[in-house]
Amino acid sequence: MSALTKSLHADEKIKPGKLGSNMVKAGAGIFVLFAIISIILGSMHGDNYKRFLYAFITAWSWTVGIAGGMLWIILLHYLCRGRWLTAVRRISEAMSLAFPIIFIAGLGFVLPLLFGYKDLYYWAHPDAKNAALNPHMVHKLGWLSPAMFALRYAIYGVIFTGMAGYFAKKSREQDESGDPAISTKLRVVSGPAMILYSFAMCALAFDVQMSLAPKWYSTIYGVSFWASGNIAAFAAMALIVLWVQRNGRLTHSVTEEHYHDIGKWMFSFTFFWAYTAFSEFMLQWYGNMPEETVYFKYRMFGEWQWVSIAILVGYWAFPFVFLLSRWTKRIVPALVFFSVWQLVFTWVQHFWRVMPQYDWETTFHENTKLVEGPLMGSIARHSVGLSAVDITVWIMMIGVLLIGVGRGFKGNLIPTKDPTLGMSLAHEVM
Amino acid sequence: MSAKHEDPTVVPSGNGNGGEGELYGYLAEYDTPGELKEAARKVKDAGYTEFDCYSPFPVHGIDPAMGIKRTILPLLIFGGGFSGAAGGLLLQWYCNAHAWTWNISGKPTWSIPANIPIAYECAILLSVFTAFFGMWILNKLPQVWHPLFRSDRFLRTTDDGFFLAIDARDRRFDAAKTRSLLQDAGAIAIEDVHHDPDPEKKVMPKWITAFIVASTAFALIPFAIAAKARNSYSPEPHIHIFPDMDFQPYNKSDTTNALFDDGRANRGEVPGTVARNHLQADTTFYNGLEMTGEQGTTTAKWVTGFPAKYPEEGRPFAVDQALLDRGRNRYEIYCSPCHGYDGRGQGMIPTRVAAGGGNWQARNLVEAPQANGAGGVAIQMPNGQLFNTISNGYNTMMGYAAQIPHADRWAIIAYVRALQRAQNASLDDVPADQRGSIR
Repeated sequence: MSALTKSLHADEKIKPGKLGSNMVKAGAGIFVLFAIISIILGSMHGDNYKRFLYAFITAWSWTVGIAGGMLWIILLHYLCRGRWLTAVRRISEAMSLAFPIIFIAGLGFVLPLLFGYKDLYYWAHPDAKNAALNPHMVHKLGWLSPAMFALRYAIYGVIFTGMAGYFAKKSREQDESGDPAISTKLRVVSGPAMILYSFAMCALAFDVQMSLAPKWYSTIYGVSFWASGNIAAFAAMALIVLWVQRNGRLTHSVTEEHYHDIGKWMFSFTFFWAYTAFSEFMLQWYGNMPEETVYFKYRMFGEWQWVSIAILVGYWAFPFVFLLSRWTKRIVPALVFFSVWQLVFTWVQHFWRVMPQYDWETTFHENTKLVEGPLMGSIARHSVGLSAVDITVWIMMIGVLLIGVGRGFKGNLIPTKDPTLGMSLAHEVM
Repeated sequence: MSAKHEDPTVVPSGNGNGGEGELYGYLAEYDTPGELKEAARKVKDAGYTEFDCYSPFPVHGIDPAMGIKRTILPLLIFGGGFSGAAGGLLLQWYCNAHAWTWNISGKPTWSIPANIPIAYECAILLSVFTAFFGMWILNKLPQVWHPLFRSDRFLRTTDDGFFLAIDARDRRFDAAKTRSLLQDAGAIAIEDVHHDPDPEKKVMPKWITAFIVASTAFALIPFAIAAKARNSYSPEPHIHIFPDMDFQPYNKSDTTNALFDDGRANRGEVPGTVARNHLQADTTFYNGLEMTGEQGTTTAKWVTGFPAKYPEEGRPFAVDQALLDRGRNRYEIYCSPCHGYDGRGQGMIPTRVAAGGGNWQARNLVEAPQANGAGGVAIQMPNGQLFNTISNGYNTMMGYAAQIPHADRWAIIAYVRALQRAQNASLDDVPADQRGSIR
């Protein structure tokens, strides 16, 4: 009668039924409606959809971070023989199965680039090749070219889709056969997969977000991107697990202990993100080299400083202090509040990363071509506020995420024959 | 299983070397963690408070079963971490911004971002200390003199034994009732545990107390030595911790050595020889001097132009952009701290002197001497004299021969000439089509 394992409750509902298809339908509705609104709003900006695409990259980063965080926790679960996650792992798997849809949606900014759109990334602009204008950038243009970018984008898509699909498929096979060797096999694969994941996630962050500031560089950027994605991932996971339970599934299996652990991961990445972001800022601020401080100077002064302060307080200090306590993670309404809060602030963080770069443009001054705005750290040209299209594109991408996650609800909602299931059901946070 | 429950082996204790003293309480062994938890719940429900459970690993759910409240340790750790962060900030404020403000390249003495790493580390340090020592203190550990250690059976608690012990001081303790309670709860063995009859062994052993007192006293010795040294004078030389590093068997420059006739440790060059690469016959390049006349009747005057070639490499000397760039680079490293980037004598050091209330300026390199004392002679010096000034110094300026190679001194001279030209330029020097942009 040891309390270390438990068996699945006889009355537990573990079939998703229409949950997945309802989610896909809701997502598709949201996507179509807000795609139309966003395109109309985007065209009203009169900037050849540049604002629309910047909002797209902001929202796409938010979405890919959520699926990425879920794939990461699955890899980690196998890598260190985790137990607590097993009862809710199918939710993580469903969320990581959103990768193909997210990468297809991302073609919305990759295809224009491939077909010669030059206002999104400065490195795709004809001026970028001007060695006199960009003496410290021209050597990067072999790597940062639309064709190479699209190629790498495809590689990332294949890597993430493939890994998420493989782990979800093997896990479902175990439901059929009950073969414990599948867990062993996945544990062996998870090591190399984790290495591949780390490189791919860093490179993805460098390509999609950091190359918006092609003259600036930060080696910790990928880690910071991934950390903020994980905050959103665990926040979204808490909400989706709750939604599944409210629909009468997993009501006996998932307890406050599991919510507690999801909340703990959200808390730990709240701190870890702040750690990486401060490390990035602190070294460049202290080093005080113009080619590095250009990025933070633009965000530390003028209008953007208020966004920076809001992120410091709202994305780190406030949730950090409250998520330290046990009750904020175990009382579900409190956890829901902080999950929604961190989902919003993860988007604000991506907005803060992406949108200041919007303002770059090339101008002529006394017959000399100059690059102005954020690329040069000139703060005189601040003009970016919040636009309606930023929000509508974000909601559109939430629709994309729902389509992707809904498609992932297949088979059982709990890995019935996983050897660690008993321990996960009896899980208790000491 | 059931046989065990009905007839638990009742084992009297008495394993201690000193015989049996007063009864400490009962030690009951259970077969599994689950049974231990159930027993704990029964003992709690019977109203006992002075009891504890012992197991080789943490047992899920044992805390509520025993009626133990959640620990306040997390709050203490939060307080420790918060004090650490605040203390770290206070320390940095006191050192950098209050007690010893020190101007480092004009940076502010108090700046939050720069203080975060120290504050962060202090927060970690104090929260970890609070967690580690708080855990020991709140658990009243260590208690190596605890009577349970007198039971051989109890030692299995670090391996495969699950135990519950009830203290005889509990107000509900009753020799027969308590025993039957433990028995009904499924004990597989119950032992009487007695204190050691020697009262000395019921409290913390003297040697532990002595060790704590002694180590605390020893820990104060360095502070005492430092305090004494701060408040007294000593005629004794410094303590040499590594004497063989401080006193090595070789002669330092310009000291004596009785081995040689002249008593000097330095050995001079052999007469009539020149060391390799030390010839330096090109006086223009190496000294800034132009020699005329035969040997013995030569006269020297300062070079006005530049050397014709680099004597060591043989390539011709050219005053070009590369030379000026090199000169600017060296000038800004070695000369600008005093003479300033514009050569007007207002570098970082005069600026710092002025900030401290003093008045000292370096020589103005770009303006001729004026009646009011402004300006300087550098602009009138021939190149050779400038070269000599850099090499050997001028008034209070020390020579830079050790820091700046000969070729770089010439590059600096070329750059100083360019600086003098630029600082005395007029609008007519600017191409006509660009004058509008600087007016």
